[in-house]
Amino acid sequence: MTAPSADLVEHTARFCRRLRAHGLPLGPGDTLDATRALGSVDLVDREDVRLALRATLLKRVEDSPVFDALFDSFWGGPVPVPRNPPVVPPDAEEERESPASASQRKRTLESWQELEELAVPAPSSREALGRQDFESFGDDELRAVTALARRIARRLSARPGRRWKLSRRGEQVSLRRTLREALKTGGELSTLTYRRRKLRRTRLVILADVSGSMDLYARLLLQFLYALQNAFSRVETFVFATRLSRVTDELRTPGYREALGHLSERVQDWSGGTRIGESLSSFVASWPRLVDRRTVVVVLSDGWETGDPEVLGEALAVLHRRAGRLVWLNPLLGSPGYEPLTRGMQAALPHIDVFAPANDLASLEQLARHLSL
Amino acid sequence: MREEIQRIQQAMEGEGYVTDRSVATAVHLSMTLGKPLLVEGHPGVGKTEIAKVLATVQQGDLIRLQCYEGLDATTALYEWNYPKQLLHIRLQQDGDRSIAAREADIFSERFLLKRPLLAAITHEGRPPVLLIDEVDRADEEFEAFLLEVLSDFQVTIPEVGTVRAAARPSVVLTSNRARDLSDALRRRCLYLWIDYPSLEKELRIVRTRIPGIDERLAREVTAFIHSLRRMKLAKVPGVAESLDWAQALVALHATHLDEELVRETLGCFLKDEEDLRTVSARLDAGELAALSSSVA
Repeated sequence: MTAPSADLVEHTARFCRRLRAHGLPLGPGDTLDATRALGSVDLVDREDVRLALRATLLKRVEDSPVFDALFDSFWGGPVPVPRNPPVVPPDAEEERESPASASQRKRTLESWQELEELAVPAPSSREALGRQDFESFGDDELRAVTALARRIARRLSARPGRRWKLSRRGEQVSLRRTLREALKTGGELSTLTYRRRKLRRTRLVILADVSGSMDLYARLLLQFLYALQNAFSRVETFVFATRLSRVTDELRTPGYREALGHLSERVQDWSGGTRIGESLSSFVASWPRLVDRRTVVVVLSDGWETGDPEVLGEALAVLHRRAGRLVWLNPLLGSPGYEPLTRGMQAALPHIDVFAPANDLASLEQLARHLSL
Repeated sequence: MREEIQRIQQAMEGEGYVTDRSVATAVHLSMTLGKPLLVEGHPGVGKTEIAKVLATVQQGDLIRLQCYEGLDATTALYEWNYPKQLLHIRLQQDGDRSIAAREADIFSERFLLKRPLLAAITHEGRPPVLLIDEVDRADEEFEAFLLEVLSDFQVTIPEVGTVRAAARPSVVLTSNRARDLSDALRRRCLYLWIDYPSLEKELRIVRTRIPGIDERLAREVTAFIHSLRRMKLAKVPGVAESLDWAQALVALHATHLDEELVRETLGCFLKDEEDLRTVSARLDAGELAALSSSVA
């Protein structure tokens, strides 16, 4: 290996910074590796240089286009074709309104609270309740929703996994441990040690759209989120319209109305426009540790995206890779003849595992099936 | 191209592994920088093969750790041979040696069952190639444990002490991307993505691996598989499937593809019922010629 010149080190470091600025996860060690790698290839050979940098600086194939474009522009070569600028859809103007003002927000929430107090005769059976759309929903269904949330929580609760752990009483004798113990007593098998399967815990992350277009459904969905948050401890709830807010703690307040009160203080963009992509990207960026293979991520939205659908697609691709399952619940999917043709939905579909309706209780009931990993 | 890289490429080709510069460069760098090589790609593109060929080229042993969900440190690293220890205690029971001496006896290397990771670390002679296959199948806990081992190639066994690798093994990790690997693991490795080969490269692979194959048949088989990869299938056939199929056709003494033959052998490269139906429908529509010509 030849020692690289100071110029080369400097140039490589600059290239790494450029890559980092474009989102590639590189540390100082990678710069060092890249420089060392360049020391062991033929520097006059452009392809050698490209492959050496690629092996050391590219960490996943998804970043390959970015890497190639930057390499070409940085190390001399064909000028990269600029990515198409996002096309502004004709309908974006009206939807991209400023977030609802605080007073308006409060009014929306208050109207829900009022509805809460209206006494509406309870539907006689669960089916009857289940068939109603959220938009025409009565009001003491909070109890029904709570019961549903409990059922879902039971489905989600721990199930035996594949790893073993020692336990006083268990399903199997742990031969390894028992024999280990027996060594103490000179090979006499005096006590048996047992083992059993470690429990596998599923976690739930809910990302709910509370923009204007979801208003019809938002009230019941909120009840659902509230009930779920309180029935099951491993739930994290986020809401978004134009930006993302974590509302786990707000929802965990005892009393539905108090929770709504806290929410109105916390969330600044109720009934605003929708930027699903940006909101999900900020979730991916700010809460990377929340999603792993034992996490089910549920996105609750009608898919009316006013931002760049490409951003949405990218954020979902990341979530899809990290999560155990990615579920998209769309209230519109329950209406006959609905087809997911919006640009947002089109960008989302390739990345989601389960696409299901969420317009009434019956559809939420179905949800339970998709939630256990 | 650097001479060493060329030599690696030639050596790999010499072992019947048709390859290209990106693979040879990555292998070369992994050897000179002493870093593990993480190979990702679709199933059946020859990821595992890299490690095998590398071992042959380096004339070292190949030590393989197949990952699966629930794989833990004792299965991957070491385990005491308890039955043997017990037996030994029984046999020595009447001896007058001290307890400490007896204990040192049964916790010596003779009673240690070396699992792949420890075997790679304590390997003597030429440094071996350690293949950690399908690392995406193991869970996050194991990945974290692996990081620890890969970072300094030493293991502490309480009864024995710290074991350090005399010569660092070359490490190849493969992943089918069943799940995303952590950034920490990725950072520790050099990265190589293997895509499906081009038509010409795949043709070369088929010719190299199945020497007796009829030229026309080889061309039709690769072209057909390439057409399939452009269709929306649940299980896209990899190079392994092309080879299986070509092998089967040679065994049937075929010299070219015809509809009946393809129908009879669909199972060689289609592993999903829905896919079988999709492709059969295309055959019903008389598209065999179109699918198996290379100018599609």
